[in-house]
Amino acid sequence: MRIYEMTAGDIASKVRRKDLSATECMEEIAERIGRVEPSVGAFLHLNLDEAMRQARAIDNLPSGERERLPLAGVPVAVKDNMATQSMPTTAASKILEGFVAPYDATVVSRLQHAGAVIVGKTNMDEFAMGSSTEHSAYQLTRNPWDRDRVPGGSSGGSAAAVAAQMVPVALGSDTGGSIRQPASYCGVTGFKPTYGRVSRYGLIAFASSLDQIGPLARNVDDASLIYEVIAGYDPLDASSLRVEKALPKATDVSWANVRIGVPKQYGSSGLDASVQARLAEVISRLESQGASVVEVSLPHTEYAIAAYYLVAPAEASSNLSRFDGVRYGYRASGADLLEMYENTRAQGFGEEVKRRILLGTHALSAGYYDAYYLKAQKIRTLIRQDFEQAFAAVDVILTPTTPDLAFRFGEKSQDPLQMYLSDVYTVTANLAGIPAISTPAGLAGGLPVGMQWLGPIMGEESLLHIARGFEKLWPSEGWPALGGEA
Amino acid sequence: MALSEEQVKHVARLARLRLETGDIAQVTRDLGRVLDYMTQLNAVDTENVEPTMHVIGLAMPLREDRVKPSLTAEAALKNAPDPRDNMFGVPRIMDGGDS
Repeated sequence: MRIYEMTAGDIASKVRRKDLSATECMEEIAERIGRVEPSVGAFLHLNLDEAMRQARAIDNLPSGERERLPLAGVPVAVKDNMATQSMPTTAASKILEGFVAPYDATVVSRLQHAGAVIVGKTNMDEFAMGSSTEHSAYQLTRNPWDRDRVPGGSSGGSAAAVAAQMVPVALGSDTGGSIRQPASYCGVTGFKPTYGRVSRYGLIAFASSLDQIGPLARNVDDASLIYEVIAGYDPLDASSLRVEKALPKATDVSWANVRIGVPKQYGSSGLDASVQARLAEVISRLESQGASVVEVSLPHTEYAIAAYYLVAPAEASSNLSRFDGVRYGYRASGADLLEMYENTRAQGFGEEVKRRILLGTHALSAGYYDAYYLKAQKIRTLIRQDFEQAFAAVDVILTPTTPDLAFRFGEKSQDPLQMYLSDVYTVTANLAGIPAISTPAGLAGGLPVGMQWLGPIMGEESLLHIARGFEKLWPSEGWPALGGEA
Repeated sequence: MALSEEQVKHVARLARLRLETGDIAQVTRDLGRVLDYMTQLNAVDTENVEPTMHVIGLAMPLREDRVKPSLTAEAALKNAPDPRDNMFGVPRIMDGGDS
């Protein structure tokens, strides 16, 4: 097995035992990135010299210290909306071109303290607004399974980097599905923990009441390993949870004791026939293992997209007001301060970001706040209550991650509303704050299909356990060839 | 609830975003379509429903107001487009003019 094919868990245990040096691992990863990245375009910034330096530092640690590192020598990619001192942080926006953060995000320092090596920053939709990574101001990222198709978004670069075996694991952020949807399109595992599990300090805020950082990986164990390192209370993020995190049991799942809910509202319009067929096959395989699969009702799901696209842009319009050309980033000229603000923001933000700022500003403006923002927050309560009632009867809820498979470039970018509707299965987890994971369930016509598992608030332990059990029932069959195999 | 071009111009001013005259019609149409989609929320009775401001329902966390070391002025100004005398320089606030 080549080093680039290894899991994060295997790399870390070999580096801890000195069966593999972090330097040797990083050299092969650098070579893999050199061969594959030109045809994928997953990274906005690479700093392989710094990565080599970090790898050497890990190899030079006294063995007692190295043996304590849960991610010893593991190469990790980080989405470009998380602050790093060693590389620029642009959120794929022109307004932050060249910005180098004066501090590291908490997730970045936690990864580094655990022995991980940050190799680069991944492409994304500008400010995480989009479902295809086409809204990046810098470049397209290609789906490694079919390079004429999008990798999904907004964490498209992270998903593509993991699927193309350039890194075993990456960080993404998920505001309405931005980890799970690209994970599904690229055939990898993507995990959004409970709101507040992972510190948002140093994450460029999109919608603060919905944003959550999580891992993308090639299996559930690697996703759990990264989760274990990045989760936990952080005094720098007042909304981070003080509750102890629980990790999945190492035991096999006894499916006869698992109650799985399938929402009856999710099988409706817009669901691709091949995705629907795969869901049916997944259900019958679970049932054949003795799991009880029952229908659950989430009646307010049909309002989720409308509520989400009011709450998220409203919060974004407030969060993005800090990009005004004064303290960092791009500044346009202007006769006076007001004109400078207006020109800077008009020239620095892309079309989708401007669309959402206007929508959010309108939803919060005098005379419309009650009708839009407050109404959406009330719908959010009903969506939360739907889940609370459902989880009284089932352990986990199963849905497709997306209603369709990876689409072609340009197919949806002309119609904002059409793009929004593809988030229909993922936004509810953010509105309710619950944990959710997308796991691959094979290919259909050569393209990956993803299944989404939703658990109750702080139910990560059981959710990850079940997701790992499913991975054993439905193992992935290899990775895209990409013509780079030596 | 469709929007007028005047409303879009008003919202753009609130958001400090200059819209090119040629773009206003398109932006108005796009936003109008999205807001049309939102009107379905009116079908839901939320008369006695509390809004969700925070999903976990934590109490507002408080901390001691203690002076601690923070970023140096040099680090804070590192990315500034116009650092001047240890401060952020900006164009004139009133009466036009660039300095």
